[in-house]
Amino acid sequence: MILLVSTCKYMLSEEEFVEPVAAIVREIGYRYSVRKYYEKINFSKFEKVIICGTALKDFDYLKYLDNFKPLLDYSGKVLGICAGYHILAKIHGASLSSIEKIGVHEVKVVKENPLVPRGSIQAYFLHTLALTEANNVIEPLAFHDNEICLFKVRKKDFYGVAFHPEVLNKNIIIRFIEL
Amino acid sequence: MKVCVLYSGGKDSNLALLKVSRVFNVVCLVTLIPRSEECYLFHYPAVDLVELQAKALELPLVKELTPDEEKGGLVALKNVLMKAKKIYGVEGVVTGAIRSIYQASRFQKICWDLDLWCFNPLWLKDEISLLREMLAEGFKVVFTRVAGYPLKKSLVGSFLDENIVRFLEKIRQYVNPSGEGGEYETFVLDMPLFKKKIELLEYEVIGSDYDATLVVKKVRLVGK
Repeated sequence: MILLVSTCKYMLSEEEFVEPVAAIVREIGYRYSVRKYYEKINFSKFEKVIICGTALKDFDYLKYLDNFKPLLDYSGKVLGICAGYHILAKIHGASLSSIEKIGVHEVKVVKENPLVPRGSIQAYFLHTLALTEANNVIEPLAFHDNEICLFKVRKKDFYGVAFHPEVLNKNIIIRFIEL
Repeated sequence: MKVCVLYSGGKDSNLALLKVSRVFNVVCLVTLIPRSEECYLFHYPAVDLVELQAKALELPLVKELTPDEEKGGLVALKNVLMKAKKIYGVEGVVTGAIRSIYQASRFQKICWDLDLWCFNPLWLKDEISLLREMLAEGFKVVFTRVAGYPLKKSLVGSFLDENIVRFLEKIRQYVNPSGEGGEYETFVLDMPLFKKKIELLEYEVIGSDYDATLVVKKVRLVGK
């Protein structure tokens, strides 16, 4: 069972940020359950966790980082999309910078990884926060300018993606689910 | 939350309006009137009739003329949203964008710049499912324009029904089933939020197969 975590303050945003991810999960025949960012979640009940994105003006999820700290002891696989990337970065001690990026940009994948081949891809961004520096836990895998667009948490199968793969890069979500 | 809906009068902005009206307070509609059909951010030509739809919905309409070129269109959008914010205290904007990254990213950027929430409740939804949802909700949708193979002149003036949905499903490899790329345009005559429905009394279809337009000559609002 896959857990989709909604980081949306408003339910209407879930139509835009959770449902498209859920549709991909359904399309490839996996079962999933959706929970909210402000709930205490028992992550260990799930094989994989996808933390979805939310609206540009929505930062409410950052008030609930403690709810995600149990992930530090979680042995499953996690994919953080946009807000989910922020959450993974923050609980692993990294600092986010203000970077407004809206629209399609080229991403350079610089390190081998199971989600996206090395080289260049076009990706849809919708964020105002991102990482420009890694720490000793965050391993950068892809960049746009100096922004870390994709990272892996060292010694874990946790991935953070700054853009929205559900828009132009569905394969990233499919490969994660099939990991 | 007080929201406005970017409203073209077509099926997608009406479905977005219906969805948002169930969770937020829709305080006005916002529409941009392109000077010509070259404008690719906003729908044309049914926009002339949007005022009548606003009356049917009993919602105020905030409108602005927009030039053809992109930069002018974005300035007009920013202006009209600033007006809606000032007059009606709008806090969020709702669009009917489905897959157009071109539209969505520009709307998102302007909303961010104006400190407005942006909601796209149809985003990435299957277009055929959305058409069926409209039918299930009782939408009465007329085709007002076709612009490309294999959409024939006879589609203009027709009403959306299950046969047309099946046809659009069959040709989806050639034509975006939502018409979001301008392959076709629609106008909503009735849907659940309309207090009155619109009746087309007189119209003409001009043009030829793959390039035809509905010219509406006489319409009226009637009770439901």
